[in-house]
Amino acid sequence: MKPNTQSDLLKPTNEDTVGPYFPINFSDPLLEDLSRFESGITAQPQGDPIILKGRLIDRFGELANGTLVEFWQANAKGVYRSPKHEGNSDIDPWFWGYGRLRTESGEFEFKTIMPGPCAGRAPNITITLFSDGISRIVTQIFFADQAGNASDPLLQSLSHEDRAKLSARHEGESDCGSKIYTIDIVMAGENEIPFFDDLIREGE
Amino acid sequence: MSNSGRQLEIGLTDNTSDQRTPRNRLRLIPEIVRESFAPCIPQRGLSRQNEWDLTRIAADLPRAEGVAIEVSGKLQNERGTPISNAMLEIWNANHFGRYRHIEDHSDIPLDEHFLGTGRVFTDIEGNYTFWTISPGAYLARPDIGRWRPKHIHLSVSGGGSRLITQMYFPDEPNNASDPMAILMGDDFERNVGKPYETPKIDVDSGLRFDIIVGGRNAVYFE
Repeated sequence: MKPNTQSDLLKPTNEDTVGPYFPINFSDPLLEDLSRFESGITAQPQGDPIILKGRLIDRFGELANGTLVEFWQANAKGVYRSPKHEGNSDIDPWFWGYGRLRTESGEFEFKTIMPGPCAGRAPNITITLFSDGISRIVTQIFFADQAGNASDPLLQSLSHEDRAKLSARHEGESDCGSKIYTIDIVMAGENEIPFFDDLIREGE
Repeated sequence: MSNSGRQLEIGLTDNTSDQRTPRNRLRLIPEIVRESFAPCIPQRGLSRQNEWDLTRIAADLPRAEGVAIEVSGKLQNERGTPISNAMLEIWNANHFGRYRHIEDHSDIPLDEHFLGTGRVFTDIEGNYTFWTISPGAYLARPDIGRWRPKHIHLSVSGGGSRLITQMYFPDEPNNASDPMAILMGDDFERNVGKPYETPKIDVDSGLRFDIIVGGRNAVYFE
């Protein structure tokens, strides 16, 4: 029988900082552009290609260089590619929804498709940051021009001021016609954006 | 009962930690949206034939300088379920304490036979093994004489499991002053490898490092 009470759980290995030298040679271009599938194959993820341009900013307004940024999102129909949804006919075979890049400067450009709305949610992308000086911080960002933001349960749990900080703005189109969204992810200090605790539950 | 999330702590003598650590408490996630915060990482990683052996850049090249070690262990979630087919990305400094990373500008020597990066996968029982060169400690803050103790970086990804951590070495003089070790407190012991002898293989010693991936994300996918 598997242990299932809090006290039976094994004690986890401590998360630790990724440090400044995450190997650049571990980069995978396919994880930096989810708007396409592997080259040489007649296949295209469903949905509207977008480019998310972000700046990671520290407490002093400087760019947070050398940061590893990870993305997790639903496909165009609002379905996450997880075992829980295996067999769902709305799974897009050409879209995983997990992305990763390391930004040398602290600015990044992530190519993907606009996530669809899941039940009761506004379109969003979960963003995880690993960098020197911190272990792991997690947030979710939204799109200012998308329907459903006003009733999204996560946004509703925040003040108006904080909601705005998680909202990427539509700023033009790329040469290929992808909508460009921009977001400043302020990690600390004035204008710090909300980060979320995925280890502690309400009431625990 | 907690009505708010953790307050992240700032590492002592760690300037970057001061610059980048959020000052507000983490926010609680409404239960109804919790699952959306649990990434599921596809198996996309690749590994070259000899990548489990970081003591050589490739099988046909000489061994790097320093003490060759084996690191092995079992990857599990906090319920004790083995995590199979997960990718471990590994990186460590060379014998002298220098990374072959384009942004490591220190004047510590490089070793022409040491790359210092590799990827391995866990087997069906969650076990992994790799060889590397025991890394050198290096002076991280010359202005205050604070060293980074010997450590190996490990990044685990597979399914609902995601963890970036470091394995430290037992009885190292610089362990006690490391900013992240200080934040871990008594829990630091769990991040220290346990020595074992390796009489039958071509390394000098072994370190056992069992990894438990915490958090509740994996339970969505069991």
